[in-house]
Amino acid sequence: MLTELSQLKEAALQIKVDLLTLCAQKSIHIGGDLSVADVMTALWQYQMHYDPQNPEDESRDRFILSKGHAAAVTSLNQAAIGCFRKEDFFQEYATNGGRFSMHSCKLVNPFVEVSTGSLGHGLSIGAGIAAGLKRKGNTRSRVYVVMGDGEQCEGSVWEAAMHASHYQLGNLVAIVDCNGLEADGTLEELTGLDDVGQKYRAFGWNVLEINGHRMEEIKDAFDSLPPPTAQAPTVIVAHTVKGNGVSFMEGNVNWHAGKMSAEQFEQAMKEIREKAEA
Amino acid sequence: MEKKKRWVREVIGNYMVDLAALDEKVVAVSADLFRSCRMEKFMEQYPDRMYNTGIAEQNMVGFAAGLCREGFKPYAFSMASFVSMRACEQCRTDIAYANANAVLVGVYSGVSGGLSGATHWSIEDCAIMAAFPNMTVLEPSDGVQAQKMLRATLNHEGPIYIRVSVVPSVDIYSEEYEYQIGKVSIPREGKDGAILCSGVLVQYALEAAEEIFCETGKSIRVVDMHTIKPVDRQAIRDAAATGYVLAAQDHNIIGGLGQQVAAVIAEEGLQTKFKIAGIPDRFVPMARPDYLYAMFEIDKDGLKRQMLDMMGVEIHG
Repeated sequence: MLTELSQLKEAALQIKVDLLTLCAQKSIHIGGDLSVADVMTALWQYQMHYDPQNPEDESRDRFILSKGHAAAVTSLNQAAIGCFRKEDFFQEYATNGGRFSMHSCKLVNPFVEVSTGSLGHGLSIGAGIAAGLKRKGNTRSRVYVVMGDGEQCEGSVWEAAMHASHYQLGNLVAIVDCNGLEADGTLEELTGLDDVGQKYRAFGWNVLEINGHRMEEIKDAFDSLPPPTAQAPTVIVAHTVKGNGVSFMEGNVNWHAGKMSAEQFEQAMKEIREKAEA
Repeated sequence: MEKKKRWVREVIGNYMVDLAALDEKVVAVSADLFRSCRMEKFMEQYPDRMYNTGIAEQNMVGFAAGLCREGFKPYAFSMASFVSMRACEQCRTDIAYANANAVLVGVYSGVSGGLSGATHWSIEDCAIMAAFPNMTVLEPSDGVQAQKMLRATLNHEGPIYIRVSVVPSVDIYSEEYEYQIGKVSIPREGKDGAILCSGVLVQYALEAAEEIFCETGKSIRVVDMHTIKPVDRQAIRDAAATGYVLAAQDHNIIGGLGQQVAAVIAEEGLQTKFKIAGIPDRFVPMARPDYLYAMFEIDKDGLKRQMLDMMGVEIHG
């Protein structure tokens, strides 16, 4: 586990470098991977209690990738904590029968808590897990559910939001990666989702708002989480940029998913390193 | 004398109390239909083992999947149409894909919802649920079987969907009856033809077979196909050997029991006359179930007529 901010920033940069490297070889959901990369690094490499040797350990924190298309950034963080070798991830990604692909699949990867891909499923499952933990008397573990902001358009998210609050699932932590962009355009254009935090607050949630690219704020948010025995579930609304750190990807719907050319890769790597140093 | 009838949904609702007593992993989930699913006893005895999501079926199913992930055995109660259609993708992705140990119970199967109309009927649920890998699809025909079926779900690995009619049924089986998921029950033997059916239609088929025997001397086997998936192939081979097979279900003729049977007959090249009876592929206005079953020729008279037509037997008199 990394504890220092400088370590976490360095780890996040490595994750982004790995993402770009993969994106130069294969088509990945690079936009949403990059927007959530800082948060995911802190979550997996600082916050979560998780034993890579025992993915079914009862005392583990549970992680659900509700925005299932951010599979690459998840797997890279899991590789970083020793769940599997990073070389294997690169080799197997998007291959026939490989453990890693565009979405997470539990059939082949034991580090996937539940298979995801279709949006709007994770929060309900997370609520069920959180309720199950309480029923078992597990007061230590938390359930982290990472969603996108476009995903908030799914009605099932709000069914679960209402329910989790009603059942006082304080061991449930939702993280909304608010990168402002869906596959067809901005949330503003498409749905007018507006203030996500206010909506969760109205549903009885504890709401934390952060800049999802400032490691200090991410770490602070995790440090300030109420205990799992709290009554209200918590949502961390992380304001981010889709394709963060790469100028030609930022806020560009064409980079929801894709593969970079050699020239694009060179430019992206240069920019991402410069941004990390700034 | 008219035999005493009972409601399968009531038997199931009541029996959930016994199931909960047998295994502490058993919990109940519903989207505001516990009372409609006759779970009052459970509500009284095990209020801390139920989760009500309110009218939110997608959340109900996803939530149940989460409980499964933590080792619990959730029984989710809803209407057949709502669980199979409103929460369709959750059933597939959260439950079936995960091979979760959930039992999904859908009441108001087929057109048993009668005067509630097509919104509350479910003539598509078998087609939908049977198409999901890992999903077992069941339909009880009477109270005894329903209870034994529910008991069998307790130690079953993998997801189960049970469609439950709200038309009352007479008891077909005795308490000593042995039930097994995947293995048909044969409440009436016969060698001149067979009616393969499930749910409330089993009692109609039994009545039809009795009348056919009395009026023509032909003996018709009644095969209770309580397990729609995986279908009992041997029972279909045996039925085909009679030469006349009528497959009937309170379900759209497309995607239901009939087509499961048809596939086996075709794949195995079984030599038999064959007909599918059920709800023709169309919507009709609200009406009482008995009226609808008569209209669709799947009540006692309808099944009898269809069977005799296929056999080319005319009744004189």
